[in-house]
Amino acid sequence: MSIMYFKRMTTALAVTAVVLGAAVTPANAAEDYTIGYITDLSGPLAGSYTPTWEGFELYMKMVNDRGGINGHKVDLKLDDDGLKVDRAVTLAKKQASRDNVIGIFGLSLSSTQGPVLAEMRNIGVPVVTTFSGILDSLPPAKPYSYSTGVVFEVAGEVIGELIPEIVKSGKVVAVTIDTVGGRAAIAHNKLVVEPKGYSWGEVIFPVRTADFVPHAQAIIAQNPDVVVGHYGSSQNLGVISALRKEGYTGPYVIAVYGVTEDTVKLAADKSGSGENLYTVNRYVSATAADNAAVQEVAAAAKKYGTSKEFSTMHVTGWVLGKFAEEALKICGWPCDREKLNSVIETLKVDVGELTGGPIEMSKDDHYGPSYWQLSKWDHANSNLVPIGGWLRKDKLEYSMQ
Amino acid sequence: MGPIVTVMILASTYALLAAGIVIVYKASRVINFAHGEIAVVGGYLFYSIGMFAPGSLWLAIGGTMVFAIVTGVAIYLVLMRRLIGEPFYVAILVTVGIAILFKAAIIIVWRAERVTINVADQIVAILPGGAKFSTVDLATIMAAVLFYIGLFAFFRFTQLGLQFRGMAENPLLASQRRVSVNAIMALAWSIAVFAACLSGVLYGGRALLSPGSVAIGLSGLTAALVGGLDSLRGAALGAIVVALAEYSTIRLIDPVLSEAVPFILLLTVMNVRPWGLFGTREELDRV
Repeated sequence: MSIMYFKRMTTALAVTAVVLGAAVTPANAAEDYTIGYITDLSGPLAGSYTPTWEGFELYMKMVNDRGGINGHKVDLKLDDDGLKVDRAVTLAKKQASRDNVIGIFGLSLSSTQGPVLAEMRNIGVPVVTTFSGILDSLPPAKPYSYSTGVVFEVAGEVIGELIPEIVKSGKVVAVTIDTVGGRAAIAHNKLVVEPKGYSWGEVIFPVRTADFVPHAQAIIAQNPDVVVGHYGSSQNLGVISALRKEGYTGPYVIAVYGVTEDTVKLAADKSGSGENLYTVNRYVSATAADNAAVQEVAAAAKKYGTSKEFSTMHVTGWVLGKFAEEALKICGWPCDREKLNSVIETLKVDVGELTGGPIEMSKDDHYGPSYWQLSKWDHANSNLVPIGGWLRKDKLEYSMQ
Repeated sequence: MGPIVTVMILASTYALLAAGIVIVYKASRVINFAHGEIAVVGGYLFYSIGMFAPGSLWLAIGGTMVFAIVTGVAIYLVLMRRLIGEPFYVAILVTVGIAILFKAAIIIVWRAERVTINVADQIVAILPGGAKFSTVDLATIMAAVLFYIGLFAFFRFTQLGLQFRGMAENPLLASQRRVSVNAIMALAWSIAVFAACLSGVLYGGRALLSPGSVAIGLSGLTAALVGGLDSLRGAALGAIVVALAEYSTIRLIDPVLSEAVPFILLLTVMNVRPWGLFGTREELDRV
């Protein structure tokens, strides 16, 4: 057999493989809604972003099991950015160009969101973030950029408005890590708290802090009447147990930026006391046993299975799934990026008891009014007990721009 | 907790880490950049054994010790031994690769979960201000003190320790005097990994373990560099200096600068005494 023969055979086989590959692509792929989801599944914050993704996935599985949307199933393209900015941008471009997604959902840390949103604006792909959000979604909202999550500036102001429910007067000490989001949160927290007559203190420590005891001492040295933590699970765990160990027994408020209930429980266990722990969250806690909407999410988690313990982050992802379903439903079939974007721009979604009111977008405001709840940790029953009703936040009161 | 006690606890953690880095360097002239990752994996392993067999503290201790010894020997025999004679930066890069592998293990095996080690953590004393001094705090300080005493006794009074010192001084002559270089090197790595795991377990008992906890390795490395890479006495002093610098910055200047201060300190020492506070000057000349 000559070399030429082998070359011809190899070429023929390669061409056949390509043709067959195209032919055996699932026949219904062209009939699915293809959407992308990018988040941190393997990086340092996978513990918070993975359950958010799982909540979204649970909802989409339920939707597909029911027959899809407008008779078409949802094809989810999932990618892991590992909390790396360059990887997040590359994956977004890949999803837009190769996977042909009509929209991207999820995303991860706020520092990864700006570049991804900017890139997708250039291409014209609507992006809806969850868990955390950045100012791009607030008025005047940038095109194609939406959020159903927690924007640090908004959360900071909300917590400032809820502090009187915990202590009527005294000193508020806000603590955060040295990030843009953290600093923004405490800046807005301060702007709301000081006019109410509270005195203010703050402690900012490096992101890679390993030992929290010295920082806890720095916090206590400021004689706080309430301490507010604007960071994620790891820092809350470390700071709460260090504060209790150093003798601070006063109120501590956890701003729920991806903080799950098991983190609160772990912090309470580690510090030997669950007293005086509060959370402020945009979505209802997974421990709300009498909340039918939460139980629906819990049932889905049980049915389809999750790798992470059921938490408020699953609820957060589920809400995004509901939002995505409604958008696709209205978009109809066929649905393209521009059409989806125009739908999302004016979308109003009732998510039931998962938060205090509907999620509403508008042309100038891609975040909309948000609802927040203050809860207190009940260590005996390992659940969060709401204090008062939902606080509605229509817009940022203060602009730092 | 008083400043002195806090600095002592911090310094003890860094001293354990620094000791491991110094031992490996003394034996092989390799700076181990995987030390923080090894420490955290040791902590996670201890936690997992404890979860698997609740109440069996000795099982967890024994399991972690076995892991430490086996891992240390394996790292040397499988990886580092093959690099003898190669340029020094090759071995350093291999330790960077080991660091990546261990960090991946934290994510793959333990799913990047945040865990704390709850081991008989009882209050030993209540300090002024209401701060609690616990058994884990005491264990951290005692572990560092006893480890260093043990190391000094080992190097001073045992045959193996003398062989180690001889090999660290002149490997060629030591091998010609029938000192088993491979055995000493493997022992060095085992001791180093043990020290790392010990610091990881104690750290997990005081704080929490997460993928980000590997940052403690940097503090240990800084302590070793400040004190002198071939000096255990220097490692101990370097740990105290780094801990004091960090703590002072947090309490007196600005907490946000606490991460940078150890490196500013390191740069200063490197510029004034490149071989560290107690390192051997001629070591640097040979390099």
